[in-house]
Amino acid sequence: MSGRALIAGSIVASVLLVGAYLAAGGSSYEPEKVQDPCKPREWTNPQGLGQIANQFTISALDGAACRLGVSRETLARALATPEARERFTRRYGIDDEKLARAIRAGLVRAVDDAEEAGALSPLLAVPLREALQRIPLEQAVEIVNDAQAFLGNVESFLGPAQGILEQLLP
Amino acid sequence: MPESPRPRVAALALAVGLVLADSSIVVLALPEIYRELDTSIAGVTWVLVSFNLVMALAAVPAALLARRVGPGRAASVGLAVFAGAGLACGLADELSTLIVARCVQALGGALAVTAALELLPATVGSERRAATVWAGAGATGAALGPAVGGLLTELVSWQSIFLLQVPVALVAAVPILAVAKHEAATGVIEPELRRTGRPHLWANLALAMVSAAIAAALFLLVLLLIEGWRLSPIEAALVVSAMPLAAILGGRLADNVPDARSRAAAGAILVSGGLAGLAFLPKATIALTLPPQVLVGIGLSLVLSALTETALGGRAPQAIHGGWTISSRHAGVVIGLLALTPIFTADINQQRHDAIDAGTAVILDSPVSPLLKLDLAERVSERLEEERGKVPTIGPAFEPLPADPVERAEVEQLQGELQDQLDRGATHAFSTSFILAALLGLIALLPIALARRVDL
Repeated sequence: MSGRALIAGSIVASVLLVGAYLAAGGSSYEPEKVQDPCKPREWTNPQGLGQIANQFTISALDGAACRLGVSRETLARALATPEARERFTRRYGIDDEKLARAIRAGLVRAVDDAEEAGALSPLLAVPLREALQRIPLEQAVEIVNDAQAFLGNVESFLGPAQGILEQLLP
Repeated sequence: MPESPRPRVAALALAVGLVLADSSIVVLALPEIYRELDTSIAGVTWVLVSFNLVMALAAVPAALLARRVGPGRAASVGLAVFAGAGLACGLADELSTLIVARCVQALGGALAVTAALELLPATVGSERRAATVWAGAGATGAALGPAVGGLLTELVSWQSIFLLQVPVALVAAVPILAVAKHEAATGVIEPELRRTGRPHLWANLALAMVSAAIAAALFLLVLLLIEGWRLSPIEAALVVSAMPLAAILGGRLADNVPDARSRAAAGAILVSGGLAGLAFLPKATIALTLPPQVLVGIGLSLVLSALTETALGGRAPQAIHGGWTISSRHAGVVIGLLALTPIFTADINQQRHDAIDAGTAVILDSPVSPLLKLDLAERVSERLEEERGKVPTIGPAFEPLPADPVERAEVEQLQGELQDQLDRGATHAFSTSFILAALLGLIALLPIALARRVDL
């Protein structure tokens, strides 16, 4: 075999391999990018309390993460356990007060999103917003972690009041 | 009746193969050493770097020493030092002890390998034949090293790699002792003083660049397989065996092409092509690593033998010029490892972080109930903490699976998607380093093109 043929064969084999891998998606095989939490995330027409709670949690995490300048995913893992939360606050230099303010802001954003999506009546949203802006950190974390129970309670406590208000209003 | 040269040729080839295998034999053991000695990726890299660095620095002085004290004596002492330091490596329980012992091992190895090249012409009958045996033994050792190291790590322990070298080195030393005794008895050390000639600059420079690329290929691929894709050392050893098998094919191809420069150029192109293929893997699948490995294997066989022949061709004494090739190859390995380790270490941390975020996003956006998804996020978080910065096995975070069949199916799907994100992250983390290694291989084409005078 001549030297030139060997070199030509090597070039062809290399180009074919790299070309085939690139054509099969080799240049984009990487983890999917996570969404910026500060950008609005559309609610997908939730049906039932479970789905509303699901999207409420996502919105709350987005709002809090946006305020803290971290990803929604990092915050979700941080709020999972007290130990994870401690590691998170230490790593990012965040004190409890700052974390509480961020989570409250996130919960208010969740109420706004729920109201905008028609999942929450404006009559319930107003007092809810007021209440959420004042709750302590532990309760705020509990709501994010179990939005379904929280929204269930809201429904049972404020639901009858909403009925009365709707009757009184013109 | 004259003594048969075969045992001595076999012993010299074994010595060369053993020492040059040591340059890469620990590659598959590195993750195990990394865990057992509780160090960092950058720290464990020095188990490999220290040996290659000392080989690079000591090869030419060792060749000069071998000519001065006698190659028989030098090879015997070199193998004894290599064996003793191997024992120290096998007994080391701290990274610093292991690295120091590796340095001593390299000193002994440099002496044995260069002295072997000085002994071979008289044993096999010609300098050209000696260069072929020497280069072949070195290439075989370097190619087989990782697979043997992987098998020993999995079946016994990483320490067994070094402990097994002790008897092998001593067995190789036995036939050489006769030469050492003869040198001591006759006092004949250097029968004639010849001009050494200048080292072949371009061939040695190209050897350094190609060796950097090949070392990176092997080191990065092993780390990808074991640390990224969670293969066991024995599985990884089987996977990377594709490279030496392809190298055998490359050796046969080389026999049919007389022009060394063409073989060197084709080899460098194939090494670069294979590395670029590894940089653009479209999926975390073992089968997809095989075609790039075949290219690298054929390429390394073509380029290393052609450049070694070119560097040694027509030059004397062989030991000194062999020393220069050893020095260039190991310097290349050091440069490759030191240049690429910080890049892929940073990349792997970033990609691990991105993969975990992407995996958590999959969980958060899934249709499973909010309580279950946050519970999963918690378990994933705990799993990450347990694995302390390594790419985690995510399976245990999903156990026990929910009893409800619908929820169970959803969780199983989530587990697959999360693992996919981690695989993507682990694979992508190595891309930049593979591309840079491929570029090193391509840059080697420049000195290969300049190496016009081939004295064969």
